[in-house]
Amino acid sequence: MQKIIKSIVPVSFIFLLAFLPILQPPAYFLSFIFKVFLYIILAESWNLIGGFTGYLSFGHVAFFGIGVYTSAMLFQHFGLSPFIGAIPSGLLSSAAAWIIGYPCLKLRGPYFAVVTLCFVFIIDLVVKNWTFLGGSEGIHLKLLPMDIQLSRSIFYETFLGLAVASVLVARWVQHTKFGLGLASIREDEEVAQTLCIHTADLKIKAFILSAFIPGVAGGIYAYYISYIHPDIVFDINISILIVLMALFGGGGSWAGPLVGAVFLSIVNEFLSIFIRPEFARIIYGAMFIAVIIFMPDGIVTFFKKWMGIRKIQHSYTSPVDKEK
Amino acid sequence: MQGRQLLVKIRPPLNMLNPIVILQSIVSGLLMGGIFALFGVGFSLTWGVMKVINIAHAAFGIMASYIAYWGLTLYGIDPVLSLCLSLPLLFVTGLLIHRFLIQPITRSRDVVVASMILTFGLAIVLENIMLFAWSPDERLITTAYSSQVIFIGDIIIKVSNLIGFILSLMGILAIYLFLYRTCTGKAVRATWQDPEGAALQGINLRRVSMITFGIAIASAGAGGVAMAYMYSFNPPVHNLWLIFLFLVVIVGGVGSVIGSAIAGLMIGLITGLSGAFFPMQWVNVLLFGLLMGILLIKPEGLFKK
Repeated sequence: MQKIIKSIVPVSFIFLLAFLPILQPPAYFLSFIFKVFLYIILAESWNLIGGFTGYLSFGHVAFFGIGVYTSAMLFQHFGLSPFIGAIPSGLLSSAAAWIIGYPCLKLRGPYFAVVTLCFVFIIDLVVKNWTFLGGSEGIHLKLLPMDIQLSRSIFYETFLGLAVASVLVARWVQHTKFGLGLASIREDEEVAQTLCIHTADLKIKAFILSAFIPGVAGGIYAYYISYIHPDIVFDINISILIVLMALFGGGGSWAGPLVGAVFLSIVNEFLSIFIRPEFARIIYGAMFIAVIIFMPDGIVTFFKKWMGIRKIQHSYTSPVDKEK
Repeated sequence: MQGRQLLVKIRPPLNMLNPIVILQSIVSGLLMGGIFALFGVGFSLTWGVMKVINIAHAAFGIMASYIAYWGLTLYGIDPVLSLCLSLPLLFVTGLLIHRFLIQPITRSRDVVVASMILTFGLAIVLENIMLFAWSPDERLITTAYSSQVIFIGDIIIKVSNLIGFILSLMGILAIYLFLYRTCTGKAVRATWQDPEGAALQGINLRRVSMITFGIAIASAGAGGVAMAYMYSFNPPVHNLWLIFLFLVVIVGGVGSVIGSAIAGLMIGLITGLSGAFFPMQWVNVLLFGLLMGILLIKPEGLFKK
C-alpha cells in the first residue's frame, strides 16, 4: 500500500508530461524538453559504468554517434524507418562496447578515461575521412512528411518513453545483485575478486548495457536532427557534459543523474538565453569546482544529508560505507 | 571510369624513399617533439607527485600564448621576452590554485577522479574567459624572423621552430636541475617516490606539492609559447593539445622528467615520419591508436625500470 502511494506522484507527473503536447506548446519548448530527456538518457546510461562501477568513461558519445550513423545509413540505403532502425543501432553500439571494453576494462582510473577519450577521437577521425559515411560533408536525411508540431510531438513522446525506461533500468540495476556487484567493484576491486565476484564479467555486462541505451537514443535522434555531421554527433563536449551531469547529481544512485541532467540543462538554457553564452559557461565551470569541493558525493546526497534523512542511506550506499 | 584513370595519372608520384624527405621529416619531427616534451613535463610532475591530473594544463599554456601574442602585436615585445612576465604570473596563479582548489580535495576518497572533474571545470572557466576576452579567432605569432629559414645542406629548418626547440630544451634542463640539484627538488622527488615516507622524514608535503604545482603551471606557460611558435591557436584547441600531453606522459611514464623528454622526442619523430608516408588526416588516427595500444600493453610507460 505504501509503495502505491509513493509511486503516485512520479507516475502522475510522467502522465502530465506525456499529455503536454496536446496543449500545443511552442515548438521551442518541446525541443527544449526533448533535449533534457536526451541528457537524462545519456547521463543515466553513463552512470551504469561510471557511477555504479566507478570506471570513468569519457567516450560515451561514441556509442551515441555509432547509433546515429547506423540508423541514418539504414534509412539511406534500405529505407528502414529510424524508429525500427534504433534497435540495430543499439545492438551495434553494444557490439562496439564489447570489442572496446574487453581489453580496455582491464585498465583502471585515469588510464581507462584516456583510452575511452582516444576511442572517441579515433572514431571521429575515421568517420570524417570515410566517404561511404558521408565524410566531413555529413548526411542529409529526409524530414518526416508532417508539420513540425506533430513531428516534434512524436519525438517528444518517444524520448519521454526512453528516458523513463533508462531511469527504470538504472533503478532496477541498483537494487539487484548485479548492481551490488558493480558497487563492490567501485569500492574495492581486489577484495571483490577474492570474494568470488566475477568482476571482469560484471564490468563488461555493465559496459554493454550502458552502450545499448545511447545507441537506441542516437538511432532516433538521427531522424530528429536530419543533418548528421561528425562534429555534431561525436562532440567530445557532450561526453564531458554527461559525465559532469551524472557526478553533479551524485554518481552512486539512479536519482543523481536524473537530478543533475534536469538541473544543469535548465540552468544552462536560462544562462545562455539571458546572459552571454560565454558567461553561462564560466558560471557552469565554476559550479563544477564548487560541487567537487563542497559536495563531493553530488547534490542529491548532500541535500539528503542536509535534510537529515538517514533512511536513504541503505538504499544505495554499499555495505562498506554503511559501517563507517 | 576514364576520369578516375586520368586523376591517377595526374597525381604526382610520391617518392617516399627519397633520403632528403626522410631526413627533413626526422629533423622537423624532432623539433616538434622537443616542444611536446616541455609541454608534457609539468603535467607529468603533477600527476606523479600529487596524483592530480590537471586537465586545465593545456588551457594555461594557451593563456601564456595569448600573453605572448598580445605583447607582440600591441607592444612589439618578443614572445621569449614576454615569458619574463607570464612565467612568474603563472607560477603565482599555480600556487593560488593549489591553495584554494586542490588542497580541499586532497582528502577525498579518490583524488585522481576528483581532481580530473575539478580541473575540467577550471578548463571550462579558462576557455570561456579567453573566448569572451579575445574571441574564437585563430591566432598566429608572426615575428620578424618567422619567415626566415636556415639551410643545412638540403634540409630546411625554420628559425621560429628552432627558437621554440631551444626554449624547450632550456625549460627541461631548468626543471631537471631543479629536481636533481636543489634541496627542494630532492623533496619533490622523495614525495613522488613515497609520500608517507617523505612526510616521516619531515618534508612538508603541502609546501612541496604547492611548489610543484606552481612550477608545472609555469612550465605549461613556456610550453604554450613554444607551441605557439609552430601552430596557430584559439581557446578551444586545448582539448587537442591535451591528448598530446597524455601521450607524452603515458609513453614516458608518470612523473619522470627524462622519460617525458624522450617520449616527447619520440612522438615528434613518429608524427614527422608518418606525415611523410601517410596522408596528413590519418596521422592523428595513428597517434591516438598508438596511445591506445601502449595503454593496453604497457600502461606504466615504456621507460619504467
